[in-house]
Amino acid sequence: MDALFANLARGFSVAVSLQNLGLCFLGTFVGTLIGVLPGVGPIATIAMLLPLTFNFDPTGALIMLAGIYYGAQYGGSTTAILINVPGEATSVVTTLDGHQMARQGRAGVALGTAAIVSFVAGCVSTVVVAALGVPLTKVALLFGPAEYFALMVLGLAFAVVLARGSLLKASAMILIGVLLSTIGTDLETGEERLTFGWAELADGIDFVVLAMGMFGFAEILRNLENPETRDVVRGKIGRLLPTRADIRQSFWPMLRGIGLGATLGILPGNGAVLGPFASYAVEKKLSRTPERFGRGAIEGVAGPEAANNAGAQTAFIPLLTLGLPPNAVMALMVGAMTIHGIIPGPQVMTKSPDLFWGMVASMWIGNLFLLVINLPLIGIWVKLLHVPYRLMFSAILLFCAIGVYSINNDPSDVLLTALFGLAGYVAIKFGFEPAPLLLGFVLGRLMEEKLRQALILARGDLMTFIWNPVSAALLVLSLGIVVVAALPTIRKEKDEVLSS
Amino acid sequence: MRDVIAGLILLVIAAVAAWQGSALTVGTPRHIGPGMVPIVLSALIALIGVVLVGIGVREGRAHRDRWPLRGPVFILGAAVVFGLAIRPLGLAVAGPLLVVVGALASEETRFFEVTLFAAGMTIFCVVLFKYLLSLPIPLAPWLIGY
Repeated sequence: MDALFANLARGFSVAVSLQNLGLCFLGTFVGTLIGVLPGVGPIATIAMLLPLTFNFDPTGALIMLAGIYYGAQYGGSTTAILINVPGEATSVVTTLDGHQMARQGRAGVALGTAAIVSFVAGCVSTVVVAALGVPLTKVALLFGPAEYFALMVLGLAFAVVLARGSLLKASAMILIGVLLSTIGTDLETGEERLTFGWAELADGIDFVVLAMGMFGFAEILRNLENPETRDVVRGKIGRLLPTRADIRQSFWPMLRGIGLGATLGILPGNGAVLGPFASYAVEKKLSRTPERFGRGAIEGVAGPEAANNAGAQTAFIPLLTLGLPPNAVMALMVGAMTIHGIIPGPQVMTKSPDLFWGMVASMWIGNLFLLVINLPLIGIWVKLLHVPYRLMFSAILLFCAIGVYSINNDPSDVLLTALFGLAGYVAIKFGFEPAPLLLGFVLGRLMEEKLRQALILARGDLMTFIWNPVSAALLVLSLGIVVVAALPTIRKEKDEVLSS
Repeated sequence: MRDVIAGLILLVIAAVAAWQGSALTVGTPRHIGPGMVPIVLSALIALIGVVLVGIGVREGRAHRDRWPLRGPVFILGAAVVFGLAIRPLGLAVAGPLLVVVGALASEETRFFEVTLFAAGMTIFCVVLFKYLLSLPIPLAPWLIGY
């Protein structure tokens, strides 16, 4: 326990440096902004801002990027409540009751409740992250290459299962992602792989190029095709603070939401998205008056919003302790860490304790910023929604292009990004999701390295993954999860949850 | 139908990967060479491709999906134009070019508004990226040399 406090204290001392405070604020501010703007997501934004973080030290860079991530969760809730458009996938559930509350003139209360429960959720989750960090890392440090490889297979298995749409297609995307990660110079022999003789590919595909192309550009293309219908709440927002009755009604849903969100957020494969759905379902089942749900029940906002924020924070646990990204945004973080010369994995905590604990502390600070800053700024966010998309997407496009160019001052990077944008667009058209590909790409190199190491240690014996108990257990678990998800009944339920 | 084409695309990808992978040392399990992983991956991808084709054939329905070309052509075209123009012509030219070409992707574009926006946006980016963040982006090499 003392160690925990000592570590947290250290983290706070890092996090309250002027630069890191500023970056935290900037991150949460930008995050809320893009969370509010429909059509720009945290993935595209983080991808866009990655090249700009080169000038900062790794801790500061990650603090800012993390702020964007959970700031976007909050911003997405704002649009969900005000204009019935979920800014992020995790805000879908908030539209159900949140927007109804807005229509009844209680938009302010909905927004205020969302902000407050999110803050409480954030506080609790920060402690969870801090508490679980050390034990999980200790466990992970016992991992040898074989166990590590099996763990990453498990991560990919979860990713396949929790992706929307066809399991087959998600698997294909992961495999292609790993394949793309092999492009470049082989580590051991120095031979060039899959480069077709192009010098630009000799160093492999730049992560930012891939991310911006498949997420940034492809998202712009997708949004141009589907203009959203806007249903802005014109009436006044009303008081922001919830009444005592509201607080009483929200209390237990908030706690349950935190529990659900925090647990699901750790799961690889975007478990954080499931949190709000699960919370809504639970609250509806537990309520004595379930018919109020869908008509402005505050529990329908408090629970899911708490789950939402809790999940967003605990999603950092697998990233910071094991080096495994549980979703596409964390995959971007892995990319960011690598760019700054930090190898993600269990050794992050021991080799860069300032980074680890600084991030944990700044997550709490970020939550504070969100509560204090964003509530008063809601009026401004609403004004921003009036900027027409036809202007916005051009701005996004320009930022992306400049950002990509600035990585290596190489114009061919921009061209390559356009190519990936096309690929991403085509993929979506055929029903493939880009996110698993990004995950596969990020994990690919490391997985191959561990595979090779494990086989060298075992002198070519492939069965080493079975003899080794931990690795065997993880591989069996991976297989089990994929099989269970493939069973028709489970698949129907999952589709129901994820497509609602 | 859509799945059939998707499956075929996967098979093509697998074939390319296998072709490139086999050109390298594949090695044995005892000592994996650089070619091993691409080949194994291509086998798995090909498997999924075959299954997808099978599913697509079984489903049958000729599913005519919308493939509007206007968006991709102009958005991606704008990026390409930017990439080609940035070194010789600098941000001062490549920026507005990108905005204008990109704006053509949307039907809601209005000409006057776009040109104004292009100019404003470029100035904003120049200030932000060149002066505030000190990134070495060519501004207008044909005019002022850097």
